[in-house]
Amino acid sequence: MANGLGPGADLAVKVGLSAVALGLVCLGLWGWGGPWDDYSTQRNIVQPQPVPFSHRHHVSGLGLDCRYCHTAVEVSSNAGLPPVQTCMTCHSQIWTNATMLEPVRQAYATGKTLRWNAVNYLPDYVFFDHSIHVAKGVGCTTCHGPIGDMPLTWKSASLYMSWCLDCHANPAPHLRPHEAVFDPNWRRTPDTPSGEALLRAYHIHPETLTDCSVCHR
Amino acid sequence: MPSLNGSDPGLDLVALRRRLAGTRGRDYWRSLEEAAGHPEFARLMSEEFPAAEGWSDASIDRRRLLQVMAACVALASVSGCGPEKTRKQLLPYIREPEGMVPAVPRFYATAATLGGFAEGVLVKHYQARPIKIEGNPDHPASLGATSHWSQALILSLYDPERSQMPLQRGVPASEQAFVSALFERRSELLRTHGRGLRILTGSVTSPTFAAQMAALLRTFPEARWHQWEAISREAVADGTTRAFGRPLDAVLHVDKADVLLAVGSDLLSWAPGHLRYARDFAAKRRATETGGRMSRVYAIEATPTLAGSVADHRLVLPPDDIMTALGSLAMAVKAAPEGFAPAPSPWLAAVARDLVAHRGAALVHVGPELPAEAHVLVHAINEALGARGHTLDMIEPVAVGAVNQLGSLGELARDMNAGAVDTLLILDVNPAFTAPADLEFAGALAKVPFAVHLGPYVDETASRCVWHLPATHDLEAWSDALAYDGTASIIQPQVRPLYLGRSAHEIVDLLQGSISPDGMALVQNTWRGRAPAGAPFDGFWRAALRRGVVPGTAAKPVDVPLRGDAAAQVKLPAGAPRETLTVLFRPDDGLWDGRFADNGYLQELPRWHTKLVWDNAALIAPRTAERLKLRGDDMVEIAQGGRTVQMPVWILPAQAENCLTLPLGFGRRVAGNVGHGTGFDLYPLRTSDTVWRAAGVSVKPTGRRYHLVSSQHEQTMAGRDMVISAPLDQFAHDPDFLHKMDRRDPEAPTRSIYPSYDYPRYAWAMAVNLNSCVGCGACVVACAAENNTPVVGKEEADRGRLMHWLRIDRYYSGEPDAPGTYFQPVPCMHCEDAPCEVVCPVQATMHDSDGLNVMVYNRCVGTRFCSNNCPYKVRRFNFFGFTRHDPRLPDAWNPDVTVRDRGVMEKCTYCIQRIREAEIAADREDRRVREGEVKTACQAACPTQAIVFGDMNDKQSAVAARKASPLDYQLLAELNTRPRTTYEAHLRNVNPELEEE
Amino acid sequence: MSRTADAAPILGPRASLADVTDRVCDVVVRQPAPLWWWVAVGLSGAFVVLLVVAASELFVVGIGTWGVNIPVAWGFALANYVWWIGIASGGTIISALFYLTGSEWRRATNRIAESMTLWGAACAGLMPIFHLGRQGLFYWLFPYPNVMGIWPQFRSPLLWDFFALICYIFASILFWYLGLVPDFASMRDRAPTTPWRVFYGLLALGWRGSASQWKTYQTVYGILACLLAPMVVSVHSIVGLDFSGGLVPGWHSLQFSPYFVFGAVYSGIATVLLLMIPVRRLYRLETYITGRHLNVLAKLMLVCGLMLTYSYGLEAFMPFYSGNIFDLHMFLNRLYGHYGATYWVKIALNCVLPQLLWFPAVRRSEILLMVLALSVIVGMWIERYIIVVTSLYQDFMPSAWYVYAGTVWDWSILLGSVGLFFTGFLVVLRFVPIVSISEMRETVHEHVGDRP
Repeated sequence: MANGLGPGADLAVKVGLSAVALGLVCLGLWGWGGPWDDYSTQRNIVQPQPVPFSHRHHVSGLGLDCRYCHTAVEVSSNAGLPPVQTCMTCHSQIWTNATMLEPVRQAYATGKTLRWNAVNYLPDYVFFDHSIHVAKGVGCTTCHGPIGDMPLTWKSASLYMSWCLDCHANPAPHLRPHEAVFDPNWRRTPDTPSGEALLRAYHIHPETLTDCSVCHR
Repeated sequence: MPSLNGSDPGLDLVALRRRLAGTRGRDYWRSLEEAAGHPEFARLMSEEFPAAEGWSDASIDRRRLLQVMAACVALASVSGCGPEKTRKQLLPYIREPEGMVPAVPRFYATAATLGGFAEGVLVKHYQARPIKIEGNPDHPASLGATSHWSQALILSLYDPERSQMPLQRGVPASEQAFVSALFERRSELLRTHGRGLRILTGSVTSPTFAAQMAALLRTFPEARWHQWEAISREAVADGTTRAFGRPLDAVLHVDKADVLLAVGSDLLSWAPGHLRYARDFAAKRRATETGGRMSRVYAIEATPTLAGSVADHRLVLPPDDIMTALGSLAMAVKAAPEGFAPAPSPWLAAVARDLVAHRGAALVHVGPELPAEAHVLVHAINEALGARGHTLDMIEPVAVGAVNQLGSLGELARDMNAGAVDTLLILDVNPAFTAPADLEFAGALAKVPFAVHLGPYVDETASRCVWHLPATHDLEAWSDALAYDGTASIIQPQVRPLYLGRSAHEIVDLLQGSISPDGMALVQNTWRGRAPAGAPFDGFWRAALRRGVVPGTAAKPVDVPLRGDAAAQVKLPAGAPRETLTVLFRPDDGLWDGRFADNGYLQELPRWHTKLVWDNAALIAPRTAERLKLRGDDMVEIAQGGRTVQMPVWILPAQAENCLTLPLGFGRRVAGNVGHGTGFDLYPLRTSDTVWRAAGVSVKPTGRRYHLVSSQHEQTMAGRDMVISAPLDQFAHDPDFLHKMDRRDPEAPTRSIYPSYDYPRYAWAMAVNLNSCVGCGACVVACAAENNTPVVGKEEADRGRLMHWLRIDRYYSGEPDAPGTYFQPVPCMHCEDAPCEVVCPVQATMHDSDGLNVMVYNRCVGTRFCSNNCPYKVRRFNFFGFTRHDPRLPDAWNPDVTVRDRGVMEKCTYCIQRIREAEIAADREDRRVREGEVKTACQAACPTQAIVFGDMNDKQSAVAARKASPLDYQLLAELNTRPRTTYEAHLRNVNPELEEE
Repeated sequence: MSRTADAAPILGPRASLADVTDRVCDVVVRQPAPLWWWVAVGLSGAFVVLLVVAASELFVVGIGTWGVNIPVAWGFALANYVWWIGIASGGTIISALFYLTGSEWRRATNRIAESMTLWGAACAGLMPIFHLGRQGLFYWLFPYPNVMGIWPQFRSPLLWDFFALICYIFASILFWYLGLVPDFASMRDRAPTTPWRVFYGLLALGWRGSASQWKTYQTVYGILACLLAPMVVSVHSIVGLDFSGGLVPGWHSLQFSPYFVFGAVYSGIATVLLLMIPVRRLYRLETYITGRHLNVLAKLMLVCGLMLTYSYGLEAFMPFYSGNIFDLHMFLNRLYGHYGATYWVKIALNCVLPQLLWFPAVRRSEILLMVLALSVIVGMWIERYIIVVTSLYQDFMPSAWYVYAGTVWDWSILLGSVGLFFTGFLVVLRFVPIVSISEMRETVHEHVGDRP
């Protein structure tokens, strides 16, 4: 036609415009959902380690208590990483020739320590304290997932702030009796005291738990 | 994992490369030279360049060496890139040290020294890494407080610019080379019984060092031990000797003094024991806690001191008149015969009457800057006032052989010039910078064939000595020291020396022929002899280390009679002609004699009265400035006896006419990047006979101007009630007077339109007592050290970007010649209706359920509206990445506090990290936080207990008590922000006779 | 005289329907870009480069390159922001408000006004983002679902300012574009080459000028106008809130909303005048933009000037009336303090000089009008500078008082934004009919009938 735009022009433009609109919508959806996939959160992804340490074997298998290695968990913000010596207490007796454990023996002999890759960690401006969570009946598996069944260790929670807030805003459902805190396969049973009961017992004040200053200093 | 845990950390080449990355041209080489100090380079060089073996002790072409080192860095950058950058890694111990709990701090006692005198401190450790200094409550000179100098220790401990390896004629050398050279000298000296051997130290109180020197002098009978402290206390010692016939030290009991006269006094600022004195002083000024009673304080001084600024009556006099005044006073209190001096002025007469009226509870203190005669007179006056046994005691001198330092230094200089000195050990002093100018010490050093300098930095002296050895930091070596009252403390190392360092003890021991000096053994030997017999030494030793003081070592008062003719023998000076100018030399409030020049905290600490940062200036009285037609920032040439210095002037209220005060310590010529090129060196003007003051000075403008930077630009309160001050009587008559003066606008609503918070658990609050604060600035540095606040430098300070979370405002009222001075510490007010909170669009600053106004750095986008809306202007903004450019090692930051990055707002948090730590500990045990479990950094450091912090909900708490005080007031209450930080109004205990003044 | 001035016809002698289209379209599609256009673009383009450099410096080095400090934490950026948004609003008032009042003279001026609004708003939009400490995170002001699980704070004026600005910018673009659709169609039909035809054709969105299209068009246009006119007021009330929401003496005042609206319209009209006079000459549009238009705008400017003067008066009265020592100190300080000079310059430029507009002769002189318009524009920037800086530099705590001065980077951002504005406007001038063809044809139709 004279103006250089064919009869289909209108249609073409309309289709084009709707495509743009659709694209924007998709972008929005991706922006919303994207951060939650395992790639972004690093959830369920096994980190390579110098030694393929199996929590399943040591915890579920041998029944070691979490605190046997993570000694500081009840008294410090930092749960504590077992010194090589701790590994050697047993492994100087058993599996003494396992090639798998060579790095441990090397470290112990040479004094050049192991370099574990962190699985769960928080940015510097977040101050998480293990001891208080343990003291107030938050179990290890509440945040670390089925750690007792992990042949190799992976991160099982996003550790996003909103994830933290879910519990800090409403802790009751996540609480356990003291004796169950370190039990890797604890399940709530009919005779477990209710979350609210525990909340009262532990003197937890949820209204104060969402203060910024609880975690940011 | 702390890199310092275990053996010498080794040079972090990655870090070095990072440092070099930013630098170009000269700076690049400069940074390299810094690195040259590190032993690691010796190793690295020998690995990378076997050819370079043995260069270090040969004197080689410096450029060549630097080239080689540049190559090393390059190589390191090739080998240095590994996976560790990509992933966050966790490194376990091999064997966990006993009792080590990750992320739980531990405290170890030791002592910090200034001018030889000990101040007990506790060092906070994270995994064997010193993080923060606190005062030692068990130590008499600290009682839990610290000076700003001690607070700054951590920064200098980790200072990457500290000297890091021995230098021979400025070229890196191995320590073995030095030791062999020393032993050579030694065998020589043994033959000559030590002729030509001299040791130069600062003032010494260390029993171990004293014992070592005694032994050394036995080995080398003809050797000599000289001492030199630039901030000399000689007049004190001399005066006392003349008054009592033998050297003694005075220990004051300020807590017993109802009337105190401070004459040019350093009582509250730097006298040995000043922290303790300040504590006792303040305790008598808090009228609300002493049942309305308050000590009365007079001051006579030529230049403002802390004591003078908080005095009830201050008489500003030129130095000469001060002597005359003391004479008249002595006469008035019957300490000197009639006609000894002109009749006292009405002011003096009134003071004399007041002093006499409080016989046994009166005290006169005079500073070291006044001549020995003044001290003799004051001893006589105190005697006449029956002070002895009540407000002061005489004890055996604490410092070892600290008499006539000036003379002995002069003698040393003479002998050096005469070539009579062939071996000179300079232990941790910097005479090339601080020695009186007429001694030409620096020049004389060149004539000493074997001059050894031991010091923490490569300074003026190091660069002129044949040998320089890096000294260990106060927190790195074993030693011991005595406090002002003789109480002994063991100084235990808090960390292995970060760099190749030796302590003075070890050097002397080397000279004694020991192959491997062991500081601990040396100190233990001293104390084996002194430990109580019978009890096992080990227990005694551990107890001493744990408490930080050796029990029962405080000196006993000695009863030496005052010489009858003490006062009479004094010759009063004939008043000097009015118009001639005098200069007064003073230590700088931050840099002291210059030894702290490389410490950013102290460079940037606003000076007590001038509030200047990063510079010193000639302080001059308003009238004198007028007469000489000088404005602030004018460069002047100050000449005396043919010596001249050029420096800017700064007009200072309460300064005596016709005398300029010159703060020493600046203008360091050989120093690190921090200390280099700040301020002006005044030592060239200071000769042996003008150590404290020089008369007959000429000052003429050069026509040039200089730019001084001050942290406070308005000197008055502009008619506002910032500091509320009233006479004690008014309070006595009507304790409630404050609340009657209604400062709120009656129209203003008393409630906010927003719903109010309730504070179910804790309500943290602070109360600052303005009757206690003496403005010393310990809190300011303590805050910076605790909260990782960066040092910004002069330029940024000038652009109004100082990062101090806590500032001390200083206001003047009345006549500029003799004004009232008020100090007011201003942290965040933590308003309950905080203007900052409502204007932040992203909820980066919020109210928490303890009533704290909290700042979430990482949520902040930097609109800066909160700062505009803060009426107290306590918010600080990271205009640049100040912390990114901060040279300090990563280890030096406090791990409990977020290190803030560019573009975020920050401010005082009431040390939230300490609050949370305590709350968590309490919650673990299912109890409330107890009174005293949370101390903010400023509160802990404060010598005068001006700052009290605690839980308002706990009605028994100290802070609740302060809030209940009738004198408690809110800053800018009319704005209805309801601050959690409140102030106790300032009271003046005026002498009715002097009222009209 | 004033009679003759007012009697100036709204159309020149040789106005005709054909002539409208020819004049307006041909400069754009038929003739090559004139020399003056290239010169102007080159010049303003240089300033855009300056803006880019200054912005890069800002992003790389940090906000510290500016003069801002504590206590004066806001400086040029905020003044620039309020200034630009004000200029923008003036355009909207002309094109939207006077559309609703059905003022005839608007038809010749609205395109210039709207284009000005567009680029003014663009410059305004940059400033709040530039002035953040962490510019990259400006989107945190926007309430969107996020992994932090928190929302922005709805009590903060800045947040509403953010919303207001976004709405305003979008609405302005829409309004401007909608008005252009029929014109794009006529451009399409007159375009000499196919590429141009396609270009304008796409922009014309298939406009055929059918009665039904016109009907819908008029309705939508009317609705948008109804939205925009009050939006000017709301935007400026909220911008005012940025200040009156704070307790700083000099900010904490109820009069900011009207005060800012007056100021906005004032500077806006001044800018329209400043742009219109040269455009009219350079594009030979004297026939359609006549002395009548200049006269009307000049009068409007005078009125706004008087309203603003009233606000100044009120601002001066309040501290004395309230007797609040902080307000008193602040105000006297504005007059006689460190920044005293700026206050008197402001008064001279915004209140005194414009009184010349009482004289018709002045209103007829294009040169004088441009000079006055320019002086008002400068004066209005100074006003914003005074509001921001002199309120902050001496507020409550004497110990914290300190002065402020813009650095070279502050000035670069300001000048750069001016460059951006003119570059944008010149581009519009080149590719878009600068007088609304359709509306002018109406005017012609009404006045001279359908003479060919």
